[in-house]
Amino acid sequence: MQIIGLEDHEVEAGLRRAGLGLSVPEARSIAEALGRDPTVPELFNYDTMWSEHCSYKSSRATLNEFLHTEGPNVVQGPEEDAGIVAIDDEWCVVIAHESHNHPSQILPNEGAATGIGGIVRDVNCMGAKVVATADPLRFGDPYGEDKNHVRWVAEGVVDGIWQYGNALGVPIIAGDVVFDDSFDSNCLVNVVAVGVVKRGEIIKSRAPAGAGEKGYDVIVVGKPTDSSGFGGVTFASEELREEDEEANRGAIQIPDPFLKNVLFKANEALFQLTREEGIVIGFKDLGGGGFTCASSEMGASAGYGMDLDLDLLHKASEDLPPEVVACAETQERFMLVCPPELTPRALKIYNEDWDLPNVYEGARASVVGKVTTDGRYITRYRGIVTCDISIEHLTRGIRYEREESPRVIDLKEPDIAAPEDLTEVLLKVLASPNVSSREHIYRYYDTEVQGNAVIRPGEADAGLIAPVRGEKFGIALSVDANPFYGRISPYWAGATAVAEAMRNVAAVGAYPATLTDCLNFGNPEKPEAFWEFRECVRGLADAAKALWLKGYDDTPVPIVSGNVSFYNESPDGSVDPSPIIACVGLIDDVRDAVTMELKNAGDSVYLIGPRFDELGGSEYYRTVHGVTGKNVPIVRFELERSMIYAVIDSIAEKLVVAAHDISNGGLGATAAEMTLAGRADLGLELDLDASGPDLSADRLIFSESSGFLLECRKGAEEELEELLKGYGLDIMKIGKVVSSPELVMTYRGRTVLSTDLTTAKKAWTAGLSEAMR
Amino acid sequence: MKIAVIQFPGTNCEHETLVAARAADLSGEIFRWNRPAEELCAFDGYIIPGGFSYQDRLRAGAIASKEPVMDALREEAERGKPIIGICNGFQILVESGLLPGLGGVDVALASNVMVSKGEIARRGFYCAWTTLRSETPARRCSGSFLLDKGDLVSMPLAHAEGNLVTADEDLMERLNEEDQVVFRYCDEGGRVETEFPVNVNGSLENIAGICNPEGNVLGLMPHPERSSFAWQLPPTDSAKSAGDMTAPGPGRRIFESMRRYIEVMR
Repeated sequence: MQIIGLEDHEVEAGLRRAGLGLSVPEARSIAEALGRDPTVPELFNYDTMWSEHCSYKSSRATLNEFLHTEGPNVVQGPEEDAGIVAIDDEWCVVIAHESHNHPSQILPNEGAATGIGGIVRDVNCMGAKVVATADPLRFGDPYGEDKNHVRWVAEGVVDGIWQYGNALGVPIIAGDVVFDDSFDSNCLVNVVAVGVVKRGEIIKSRAPAGAGEKGYDVIVVGKPTDSSGFGGVTFASEELREEDEEANRGAIQIPDPFLKNVLFKANEALFQLTREEGIVIGFKDLGGGGFTCASSEMGASAGYGMDLDLDLLHKASEDLPPEVVACAETQERFMLVCPPELTPRALKIYNEDWDLPNVYEGARASVVGKVTTDGRYITRYRGIVTCDISIEHLTRGIRYEREESPRVIDLKEPDIAAPEDLTEVLLKVLASPNVSSREHIYRYYDTEVQGNAVIRPGEADAGLIAPVRGEKFGIALSVDANPFYGRISPYWAGATAVAEAMRNVAAVGAYPATLTDCLNFGNPEKPEAFWEFRECVRGLADAAKALWLKGYDDTPVPIVSGNVSFYNESPDGSVDPSPIIACVGLIDDVRDAVTMELKNAGDSVYLIGPRFDELGGSEYYRTVHGVTGKNVPIVRFELERSMIYAVIDSIAEKLVVAAHDISNGGLGATAAEMTLAGRADLGLELDLDASGPDLSADRLIFSESSGFLLECRKGAEEELEELLKGYGLDIMKIGKVVSSPELVMTYRGRTVLSTDLTTAKKAWTAGLSEAMR
Repeated sequence: MKIAVIQFPGTNCEHETLVAARAADLSGEIFRWNRPAEELCAFDGYIIPGGFSYQDRLRAGAIASKEPVMDALREEAERGKPIIGICNGFQILVESGLLPGLGGVDVALASNVMVSKGEIARRGFYCAWTTLRSETPARRCSGSFLLDKGDLVSMPLAHAEGNLVTADEDLMERLNEEDQVVFRYCDEGGRVETEFPVNVNGSLENIAGICNPEGNVLGLMPHPERSSFAWQLPPTDSAKSAGDMTAPGPGRRIFESMRRYIEVMR
């Protein structure tokens, strides 16, 4: 394609005509580096590799500036497809976190399913067994102007998740769902996958040492390449416009959990063979950017080149242009780099033992080329060299310095009188689609497959699995972010998301071992959106730094994996800043974990964390008063750290039999959920006078300041109080478990809230199913 | 005693099923569908685990039921060896005619329809813990050999198609009379309520599992392998934290029954 010698507007026209997203200066810099006009396939390769999605060209500098990715337990930071932290001397946990927002907005079922499909590949290709997923979801207002479309998206996304996850056989053990009109035309579908691997059996997604010198084979495994998902990463790196919807559909990938299930088993057979024979391979999934991205990164990260023949790649049809073969994002594919002596046996595993060609039409493993030492990225097609460029130049990407400018919004605290009847208020909050029971969704999810479930969705703040038979350790997983806080303060949204995700794993008794961040924002070319992004990253990094890894002073909880998703915006505006955080917690013995439902009548209940006047962005303000407010909950880092550690220790010492963190819906929702989870046959009587500061009852009950409610084991009160004091925490014994099924709160000698659990349960269980009907 | 856990493309419960069988002192291995079928005769019993064999193409279990490995299993069943199909395994046994074993394909496991107060409350995939009531006397069936009539066993289920239906009006009477109904869904107290959530998928007469006339072939929708260890239990069950990591859960009785059946029958 001619670039050299043309005017800017001519280059621009040529790029757009070809369907490329590259800017004119980017195209000129490529031509300059090559010293000639690039070919069309070359430009598509650059377009893919230099996209926001693949190169993090807007975000990299900010991430490097703030995030701590190292730590004493880190085995592998964010440099590969997934991060890895140590569980013990032998086992490691592997985690990856991504978004699949734009595809899910356009084709909810396929989009969401592909999200799972992609993230489990990232974990599996490290040599790990994928043992859990989690799904943080953000949908539009189910009662607003676009309610029909919003519900269509929500239903399609949930269907896509269960249809893929259940068939694949990986349990979905955590997630969250928030509805708000800022997501009306741009839903967020994030997905987290977790795996386990032995430390000595980690497989790298790069060409092994010596691969170039010895001419290692490059093998593509899986579904035949078709045109699906062509332009996917470019589509993910632009704003959503309705008029483009038809064209964008073609950029959405087509998922197949069945083939993935078979591939995972064949992969395991391959991994086992290489372990037994001590052969080092490189293994990588083909995800965003397809064949080009996987092959160029595998070569470049080891300092090698690649010489690849696209004719050898198995394809669904023979009439695909070379740039489509190279850049399509056909799902369910992997790339293997291995010594030639392994090749026949690897091919046999896929093509004969697991019989890919007969299990799925056109699927197989094919040798497509060699690793080289010359640093060139060469592809051939139909006898012609279609691409011959520096692999380093292609994969290095580019960086942009984006401008930032604070978003100025007029925020104020509302002047409201405390409602007379707080019982009605609580029922209203419990019935909010953002607080109500998530049961309507999680019953679609096979939370039990693999047989590892210890704590399931709905039973506690985090899911917990015992992923290795014969071992006692457990992996807890939770995800969090509150978009309403993000609207008020992106900084505190980032910090509170980290704190809440950690509180959630602490509430089952696990210590936070690592975090991942999936950062969902608007268009970074707009200074306000970029400011929101930087503020969020700064906030979440500050929290991770201040809430130390347990057992180490001044040591951040490491962030080992993550993803940045920009351009979550339509002409109607951008999504609320959504730094979605996942936290992996570890516990030595799963039998020590606790759940949230009340256990025994007569037990004392303690409040951890004083209530502050922090109702900005709260469910109470939004649902009952229709305002956002200003006083967003902040993270008091030392207090937060003490609370989290104290809860973990008190559970480890078996002083606590039930625990639940305070977040969305405040103390009121937390107390109600402890009575409603499980059999709902035990009640709770709370005296709020013991809860600290001088606030009105509605503020005490619905403030979303961080904290916990703990049910103390009978007879352990003194020990628990000593432990809490040891962490400098106030002792707030605020009530007891009662045998009558009711929730009662008194304040200043007056009953301010009283409901039977049947009524409360009805409100709490109806909220979500009605919103998704 | 050596069992084979049959693995089709799309099966996804084979590993935990083998673990559960081993915990009940059965030895065994996972048997890939395209291995030579004649190797199957070396085993004393068979489990067809859950999953989505062949992607549920056509109907759940339909393609797998036509595989050569199923012909071999039919021969082994005729020799009296036990076969237990769990979830998709049950669907495969129904599609192959091995259950209820009356000569044809006499029942189907249709899409879940959850009926509450006479109205459809929900459809589709559902995952939850359930309680099963043993409906046959001990020793009637391989997989419930050690369970007395009326015994309760809790375990999770997870499926979209477990709603047992038949076009044969007389079939239910026959299954009941011949003691081929092995498990029914009931509440924690053992009461068989006909509506959701106790009847979790709309199944005829709350049927959760049936056996063939000889009793050696059993199919059930819920997953005993996910309830074979105490720590797998829901938190509301006080047995959850009892004992060590090997302490048994209620589902282990199914595998222990299979082992005892093999001991007695051979």
